This record gives sequence, C-alpha cells and structure tokens, in this order.
Amino acid sequence: MTDFKKIEEKLKTEAKRLLESGEVTVVLCYGKGFDESHPMPYAAKAVADVDNIVFNEYCNYNMARYLVRYPQGTKIAIAVKAADSRAVIVLIQEEKVKRENLVILGIPVQGMKNPKTGEVIDSKTTCGMNNPVLFDILLGEEVHGPKVASPYDVLAEYEKMDKDVRWEFWVKELDKCIRCYACRKACPMCYCDPCFIDQSKPKWADKAPQSAGNMMYHLTRFHHLAGRCIDCGECSRACPVDIPLYLFHKKVAKDCEEMFNQQAGMSMDDKLVLVNFRVEDSDKILE
Amino acid sequence: MLKRIAIEKISQLAAVLMEKGTLLAPVKEVAGHNFVQILDSQKVDLNFYNTLMSPKSAFFPHKEDFVKYKVGKPLAEAEPVLLNCKPAFLFGVRPCDVKSFEIMDIHFNAAGIIDPYWRARREATTIFGYAYDISQPVDSADFYNTLGINAADPEGSDIFMVKKDKELLLKTITPKGEKLLAELSALDKVSTADEKYFEEYIKKGKEYKTRFNCVDSEVVAKKLESIFDNTDFWTKMSAVCLSCGICTFVCPTCYCFDICDDNMFGKGTRSRVWDACMFTDFTLEASGHNPRTQVYQRLRQKVCHKYSYHIRKYGVISCVGCGRCTRQCPVNIDIYSIIEAALKA
Amino acid sequence: MSFEPRILGIACNWCTYTGADLAGTTRLHYPQNVRVVRVMCSSRINPSFIFRAFQLGADGVLVGGCHPGDCHYNTGNLYARRRLATTKKILEFAGLEPGRLRVEWISASEGNKFAEVVEAFTTQIKNLGPQTKLKIPQ
Repeated sequence: MTDFKKIEEKLKTEAKRLLESGEVTVVLCYGKGFDESHPMPYAAKAVADVDNIVFNEYCNYNMARYLVRYPQGTKIAIAVKAADSRAVIVLIQEEKVKRENLVILGIPVQGMKNPKTGEVIDSKTTCGMNNPVLFDILLGEEVHGPKVASPYDVLAEYEKMDKDVRWEFWVKELDKCIRCYACRKACPMCYCDPCFIDQSKPKWADKAPQSAGNMMYHLTRFHHLAGRCIDCGECSRACPVDIPLYLFHKKVAKDCEEMFNQQAGMSMDDKLVLVNFRVEDSDKILE
Repeated sequence: MLKRIAIEKISQLAAVLMEKGTLLAPVKEVAGHNFVQILDSQKVDLNFYNTLMSPKSAFFPHKEDFVKYKVGKPLAEAEPVLLNCKPAFLFGVRPCDVKSFEIMDIHFNAAGIIDPYWRARREATTIFGYAYDISQPVDSADFYNTLGINAADPEGSDIFMVKKDKELLLKTITPKGEKLLAELSALDKVSTADEKYFEEYIKKGKEYKTRFNCVDSEVVAKKLESIFDNTDFWTKMSAVCLSCGICTFVCPTCYCFDICDDNMFGKGTRSRVWDACMFTDFTLEASGHNPRTQVYQRLRQKVCHKYSYHIRKYGVISCVGCGRCTRQCPVNIDIYSIIEAALKA
Repeated sequence: MSFEPRILGIACNWCTYTGADLAGTTRLHYPQNVRVVRVMCSSRINPSFIFRAFQLGADGVLVGGCHPGDCHYNTGNLYARRRLATTKKILEFAGLEPGRLRVEWISASEGNKFAEVVEAFTTQIKNLGPQTKLKIPQ
C-alpha cells in the first residue's frame, strides 16, 4: 500500500529545495483544505508555503490544468500522478509548455479515493495506471503489483446496449447538466480562449441548460478531446450532478486507439492522433 | 398552532399538498438531494443534510421565458409569457435558505423595479422551513452562525418543522401558515410533551455551533475595500480557482442573469438565464474589451460583491453560510477562509 | 405520403462538387433529397456542422471529398478522414443510427459514382426513417 506520509515528506523536501535554489518560481502540488478529506490544489511560491503542502488519498487534482496560466518561460515544478504526467506530455506536444521549463515530480500511487463516495479510484473511472510516464524526480517507489485492468473494460456494458437504449441513457444523463462548465475548467486540455460554447457568432448552443444545448456542448467537447483526453477522470469528479463523462471520453479514446494505434500522452515523440494522419490510414474507419 | 405527522407518512401530506397546488420538495437524485416539482408523492425524501442546489429556483428559475416572437414580425405581435401562478408549497427548506429569500427580495421584490414573476411566485408560495437535525454533527463547510442564523431559526418560514424521533412537528409562524395548516387533514394533534419539545428544540438550536463567530459587516466591508488593490493577496486566494460557475449556481443569494434571444426556424424566445461573474466572458464588452480577464479579478469581484459592495448598497452581507459553495467547489475553495484571511491581511 | 428524407450534402469544391456537376451535365437521374453545400476542402468540415445539421432536422449527412492522396491541398482529406471517422464513432456511441453519416471519396470525373451514392444513401435514409433523436423539437 502506498505510504502517503512518506511521499508528502519527499514532496515537501523537493519543493523546498527547488524554491530555495530558485530553480523554479512555483511548485504546483497539493495543500491543506478546510478539513482532512478535502485537500486543495496548491501553488507554492515561497519557501514558507512548503509547510502547507500535503499529500493524501484525496489529492486527485490534475495539476497540469494550471500550467497554461503561467506565462511561457516560467520555471514550474509540478507534482504529477500517472494520468497527470500524460496530460503534461500532451501539453508539451501542443506547445503550451516547454519540457525544459518543467521539473516534473512523479508520484507513483495506488489507493487514491473519491471524497464524494469514499471509494478507491481505479481503471473504471480513470486510466487506472499507477506510475507516471514522464518525470524528473520520483517521489516514491514505483508500483508493481497485480495487473491493472484495462481502462476500457467498463465500456463493455454500454457497447452491448441497444443504440436506442444507449441514446436514452445519454439523454437522461446530459439532461442533468446545469452548464456550470466545471468539466471544461477542470480539464487540463481545455484551455481555448474563447471556448466554442461561449461564442455568439456562430452560436452553437443556447445558454440555458436544456437538452439540445447540453447535447451540443458535450458531444462537441468529447470530439475536441479526441486523442487528447488522458483519462484522469477530473471532469467527472468536478461535475456537481455526477454525469459519467468519463464513459464517453474512454470510448473515444478506445476508438482512437483501435483506429489509429495510438494512446494520448504516452510519449513526447508522438504527434497528436488527429494530426498524425497517414496516407495509408484505412478507409475502413469510415464504415 | 402545532401539529405532527409520522415521517413515514410524509407522502400523505405530500398528496394533500399536491391537490392544493404545486409541491416543491427534496427528492433523492444521483448526486444528492434537490428540490423538484413533486409528481409522485412517494418521492419526497427528508433524509438529507442540505440540497445540492439552493431552493432559489422556486422563485428564480434557471431559465425563464419572457416573450415569444416571430422573427421579422412587428413587436406588437410578440406574446409575453403569462405566469399563471397556482398556490405553491416549498417543503423542507433549511433556516439559512429561508433567510436567503429575504436577501433576494431586496433585488427582486423591494423598491424600484419589481420583478413581477418573482413577486407572483413569492406570494403564491407557502414556505415549510425545516430545522437542522441538532442531534447530528454539523457539516464542516457550514458557517451560518456567522451570518446570525441558527440551526432552528423559524424566521421567514410560514410553517416551521422540527424532527422529533420518527415524527415531524409543524408549527405555524405566519397567518399564511396558520390558514394552510388548519386545512391539512393529513396531520395529527400534538400533546403537551410535543409542545415542550418544540420550544426546547428552538432554544437548543441557538446553541448548535457551526464554524466561526459573528463578524461585523461594517468591519468586513471596510477591510475588503482597503485590500482591493492587494493583487498578491487575491492572486494567492485564486491561484487554484477553476473559475467555473458552480459556486454561483448553487448559491442561494447569487442572482446574476443574462437575457437571451434564442431564434430557430423563424421563431424566437426572449428568456432570462442564470449567469455567473466567475465566467470568463461575464464582463466581455461589445468592443471586445474585458476588464476581468484574470481569475483573481473575478474571484475578488465575487467575494467583494457578497461581503463588501452588497453591505454598502443594501446593508446586509449577501451570504447565508449554507456551505454549498465550499462543499460543491471542485477544488474545495472555502469562501469563509478567504474572508478570514482578508481580515488578517 | 411517403417519407422524403432531407439530407445535407457537404462537397469539396475540387472533386466532389465538380463530380456532382458532371452528374448534372451528363443528365444522370438521382433523387433530389440531398441539399449540397460546397466547401473548399473536406478538412474544412467542423464536426459541429454535422451535429448542428442533425439538430436542425437533417435525416442524413453525406460528406464528399477527394480520394486520399489526391487532395487539392495535398493533405486536407487525410485530416478529414481521421476527424470524420471520430465523428462517426461519437455519434454511434451517443446512440444515433450509424448509417446517418456517410463519407465518400468522389473525384471530379466520377459523375456516375456521385449519382449512385446519392441514390443508395437516400434509400438507406428512407429505410432508417426520419431522424428524431438529435432533432430539436419545433
């Protein structure tokens, strides 16, 4: 089982060292919240801030979403878990941040929990990986245990559904949406300014949370994340009405992997799926 | 007048109310409880701490149509949407949420331009307030004590309800409540023990403590004014804020809205939709200029509006300490911690 | 009265649109259900156009572009192929009938193919019936 306290100690040590030496101007990590089971994301900028750093099983935040807030060229240290490290890779591929400006503190971990339900987070709602894919410093022992289930297993039930039943399922789920846009803001890859949904020329959807507009917003967002979503599950955890957005994102990721033989954010040398075309791509994918 | 009903028989009371008008009561949904219009009396569920969304949508719906028109036709042919208000019953509202209606009345129902939709709904609705369960531990996000509200505060309710073991005791507070309770056949008589219990409960409610102590609104307003230009402070407070919109939508005292003209196939509707000052484009002007492009500016606006400007304009803090913003915030930002930090800054 | 589908056709200027034109000058007969919109390249197509078309009541969407390798802009249709394949998969998982979006490569000289595709697609949509899932009720 992961030793959260040990990782917290190491995180504090590294953050202190990096801030003291001036190697970075900000450390994106996790900090104290209003109680134990509600930590917050934290941007430590001074050595004194290091005392507020925590790491426990509720620190699910994908800190990569804050990378684009800092001006290009800012030296940033960022604490990442498995999926978060994949997000950093995608942001590097999209040239939103440069590798040499980052000090990546990788956190291998098993046993993260969802504070709303208390359940352990696994491949049913996230990518299920335990070890960061990209890092400069590893803050703990790599997790090598039982085989991780495929992040697409949870889709079997939905793929088998009759399409009409599945349609009703999605209408029922997306009708719950209150258009708070927490999903968009929680996602590290949603950094467009302006976002398509905010535009009035053209107006893609009405502002009010109604069936048609919600469908347009979400279907388009699923498409915009195709080949970029790294399955961190933050969108679904941020959602105040518990829409299982991760299901659709997983399905799009699975289809992209099957059609184009590529997973998002696994290697800095890859190009993004939707720009990585080949003349020999099969026309079968259009059937 | 005091009456009682067994909680397991709540659906009977719901059925009676449904016959009299529209019943809005808490129902268990996937993510939590919410106030919805009850169509099945069995669905009413009082087993909750507080609802996800505040009950403000009973008077101020998320979307409200005002005018229906045909594109290209003269204005005179547009049809205003008429509000036919049946009597309504808002059942199971916590004391802090009841207080929030009084604060919102300032904006929709007081001097100046009255919102006829809000007023009509407010007048047609009888509010069944519901005391917090003082036998249970308080939620760590709540801080309604700070705003002068206590766990069993009947102020603002027409009928106030208190839990006694497996029963509900209902007391009339206003003439409106008195009239309604007399008509409700589904309720039983009470004993002197019940009357005593109710009085005791209201007293004990005053001692039930949430976070923090009373804060002087004048002090808060002045302090926030003085640190407006302290960019470092606000940048630190907003460093991890997602600037989504959840806190605004769940808040019982947030009231910003947008007016939209939505056209399709030659027909259109002018409607009012909730807006949020936390949205990036909230202050986007027609020229393209946006005075609040940074997250810290928007968070500063939200906090200062509620705890400073609102006091200056209307004399009260625009907050009831229900804790929803803190509970639902995806990154657990705690507005009261921000105020605490501001007072020390 | 039998159902006459309303199909949105999006045709790339250099190949498909010219091919459609050829079908016309050759006096080929084909159903009149496809309303064609011309774009300069199939990669101009924003998947949101397709979602929007279905919301506005299209029963089917037919996209036509140059054959891969023959794009007037070299690589446009290669992007489009990946993108539209993803769009198809998304609509399918949402629960829309798979046959409602069709992508075909039709060159400027393939007037016959254009007519055949339109004929086949119109029949396919007739069999699927009116599209009601994404359509916004009026």
